[in-house]
Amino acid sequence: MQAIDASKVTQIIDFLKNGRRSDDVSLEDVMRLAELMAESLQSYFKSFDVTVYRELGAMVDEISSMKRELSELQLSDMRHQRIPEAGQELDAIVEATEAATNTIMTAAEVIMAADPSDTEAYQAVVNERIVEIFEACSFQDITGQRISKVVRTLGQLETRLTTLVEKLKIMQITDAPKEETEAERRQRELILHGPQLAGEGVSQNDVDAYF
Amino acid sequence: MALDTSIPVLVVDDYKTMIRIIRNLLKQLGFEDVDEAADGTEALGKMRERKYGLVISDWNMEPMTGYELLKQVRADTSLAKTPFIMVTAESKTENVIAAKKAGVNNYIVKPFNAQTLKGKIEAVFGD
Repeated sequence: MQAIDASKVTQIIDFLKNGRRSDDVSLEDVMRLAELMAESLQSYFKSFDVTVYRELGAMVDEISSMKRELSELQLSDMRHQRIPEAGQELDAIVEATEAATNTIMTAAEVIMAADPSDTEAYQAVVNERIVEIFEACSFQDITGQRISKVVRTLGQLETRLTTLVEKLKIMQITDAPKEETEAERRQRELILHGPQLAGEGVSQNDVDAYF
Repeated sequence: MALDTSIPVLVVDDYKTMIRIIRNLLKQLGFEDVDEAADGTEALGKMRERKYGLVISDWNMEPMTGYELLKQVRADTSLAKTPFIMVTAESKTENVIAAKKAGVNNYIVKPFNAQTLKGKIEAVFGD
């Protein structure tokens, strides 16, 4: 294609600005300028396409790699199997401790209500109920094993979440400010903390100092 | 002075087993007239129907906590003088101070034994 000099370009622009009234500019000149402009834009879009293509390709690779790494974390197994199982274990612990407590308390109540004046009958009642209490205490072994399973699941969850945070490179993201829920407000205002771990809360002796 | 075990006692706890434990311990101490409520609202209703000589309440209950119950009891002139013991797993200093400020007579931290319960009841009645 034929080149066009800068003074001619200025002439053509003036021609277009002045309602196309000039003898120095022909239709061919205008067409040539249009052609040049289209050509220059084409090369611009070509370079643009290559850059975008490269960027998109890199993003696709990154997403594929992230998906592969996430699948290695087995989050689905955690969500669909291990966490529901842990919940079931905890429910079973609540049921077992409740059943054992009831058995022990019933035995104690029977002993408490037994008539000690008939020594032989009283001894028989006490012996029978003591055996029941021992049997009920075996719940501790099973609940201990169940709790170990739950603790193991929590450990795995912690490891996987830590890995996920590292892989997604979100360590430096600051937590968004959290709005207080109604339940949280109630907990704060009514000073609800629940039971403390050993050595954390105040002891009965500490409490007694206030009275 | 011997402990007056003929007084009616109201035990407030949302955990039935705990009520059963406290009821049995009270029975061992000689208290036979023991009533129960599952939360503060039910307790307040019972207290307005019957005059209790002692209230033993848990803290963490729904919908009305033992702390709210204590404040409502102390705000109601007809109930204000009822002896009130908090028996709770809430064992942070701020809980104890808040309960004390609200007018609790004594405070027992769970888990507790029969001797502690007896000692606190005696302390409330000045024995």
